[in-house]
Amino acid sequence: MKTFSAYLKKEILEAARTNKYLILFTGSVFWALIVPLSLKALPLFFKSLPIDISAVLENFNRDTAYLSFLGDFFEIGTLFFALTLMGIVSNEVYYKRLVFPYSSGADTTGMVLAKYIHYGFTFSVFILIGFLANYFYTSKLFEGGMLEIGMAIRSALLYMVYYAFLLSFLIFLSSLFRRGIIAGITVIIFGYTLSIFNQIPRIRIYLPNYLLFKAADIGNIFDSTLFPTIIIAVVLIAVFLFFSILRIKRLDIA
Amino acid sequence: MIKVTGLKKNYGKVEALKSISFEVGRGSVFGFIGRNGAGKTTTMNILTGLMRFDKGKIFIMGRDFKQYKNELIKKIGYLPETPTFYDYMNAYEYLGFIGRITGFGQRGTKKRTDELLKMVGLDRKGKRKIGGYSRGMKQRLALAIAIFKKPEVLFLDEPSSALDPEGRLEMLNLIENLKDNKITIFLSTHILNDAERVCDTICIIDEGEMILTEKLSRLYEKYIQPVFDIEFEKVPEAEVSLLKKISWVEDIVENGKKISLQVKDIKHAKKEILLELSKLDMNIVSYRIRKRNLEDIFIGMVSKRENI
Repeated sequence: MKTFSAYLKKEILEAARTNKYLILFTGSVFWALIVPLSLKALPLFFKSLPIDISAVLENFNRDTAYLSFLGDFFEIGTLFFALTLMGIVSNEVYYKRLVFPYSSGADTTGMVLAKYIHYGFTFSVFILIGFLANYFYTSKLFEGGMLEIGMAIRSALLYMVYYAFLLSFLIFLSSLFRRGIIAGITVIIFGYTLSIFNQIPRIRIYLPNYLLFKAADIGNIFDSTLFPTIIIAVVLIAVFLFFSILRIKRLDIA
Repeated sequence: MIKVTGLKKNYGKVEALKSISFEVGRGSVFGFIGRNGAGKTTTMNILTGLMRFDKGKIFIMGRDFKQYKNELIKKIGYLPETPTFYDYMNAYEYLGFIGRITGFGQRGTKKRTDELLKMVGLDRKGKRKIGGYSRGMKQRLALAIAIFKKPEVLFLDEPSSALDPEGRLEMLNLIENLKDNKITIFLSTHILNDAERVCDTICIIDEGEMILTEKLSRLYEKYIQPVFDIEFEKVPEAEVSLLKKISWVEDIVENGKKISLQVKDIKHAKKEILLELSKLDMNIVSYRIRKRNLEDIFIGMVSKRENI
């Protein structure tokens, strides 16, 4: 508990002083505002080009604008998320920053949990802000569709669970590799490629990326098909954190 | 206080420590000296629980280190050779972080932080970001962290190597103060003058092997024979070969135009040396007899790996 509280405070200070809050906020909330604005500006952009996309734009409503945001959030948000936090453990080990804390009696479990809870909570808050901001902005700029604030909150919750899973995976990979960039790139590739399985109904419910699929299922976001996905995501989070702690305990710190 | 037997550590196929054994008495300053890559830092990292070892036994305060590592670490302080911090923090914040880990409490941490920053002379610069500190300032902060929890055993890895002469002197004074407080100090250094000044016992390690462990006073008794320092007008080459052939010459350490000549029989040498030097075809700039210091002993031991 002593290590947990010490590292929690340290992570907050670090994220604030090294602009990690700002970067993660930009990666989540900024796109929530920019996506609907750019969609609204599309007709102006295509006006000067010899292409007629009026048929496509006619069908644009709040739902389609929101779905477009979800896709962009996953693609860009994952990039920001993985590249900002890729050194979460590896930097501590590589730059020998654990020498003083460990020789002062710090314990690995407290350190890993503090990092996980801090960034898990932080990114969840940014997801919620981003999704709500997008909902209000989309509602102002577009009309029609069945999107409601409750739906935006429900999809935000599924995204939170997904990124909580992705964070545990990132921490695990960051404890495996001395260079954070390997962990970051692996998480990005893993996140993108796993979404391919969302095309296969029999398999997708057992993979965390199904959370993203259901988050985009406006009108039917929460249903019973999510149970196995959430259980598997929670189990994977526990497994990754457990193996991260085990791995760091076996590392030579100095 | 510390007992190490048959300690072995390999990095792949490289044997970093080849079964070393030694004992450190309570309240003493144990000087661990050796060349770069001799195994000093590896030993330190193992004894502070930051690195695993392959074979051997370690007892600290009579308890098996492997078995009671978590409890023993709380009684150990460590100053690594190149201390690394969170550069965005200032000294107060970093010591606060260490205080929370060690469970000092808010008031206790603040009191201890103020006390230590004053002791290491960083009280006025304590609110500056650590990233902007000089190497010497970082070293002093590292010492404050190492002794934060009032350890019974303190491991210092090259504590003065990054410091300027004034800082080095301050560091040695601090070590002497700690010694007065009955803290057992394990000091790794290659600055032999420092070891000579503060250590009670000297241990020489080379290529992962212990080649000597002796009380400093006993060491001087054993190597009481003085040394002749001779400076020539030019770099002596053939002259050194000739001098080495003399029966009463034990060893010659060359350093450019200067040589340090160690002898087996001082009485005989005093009578003969001027005669022998006069036979050489080279002018002598200076000549003096002095007592052997730790550096002479160290160089003699390491270069020839002689058995005492």
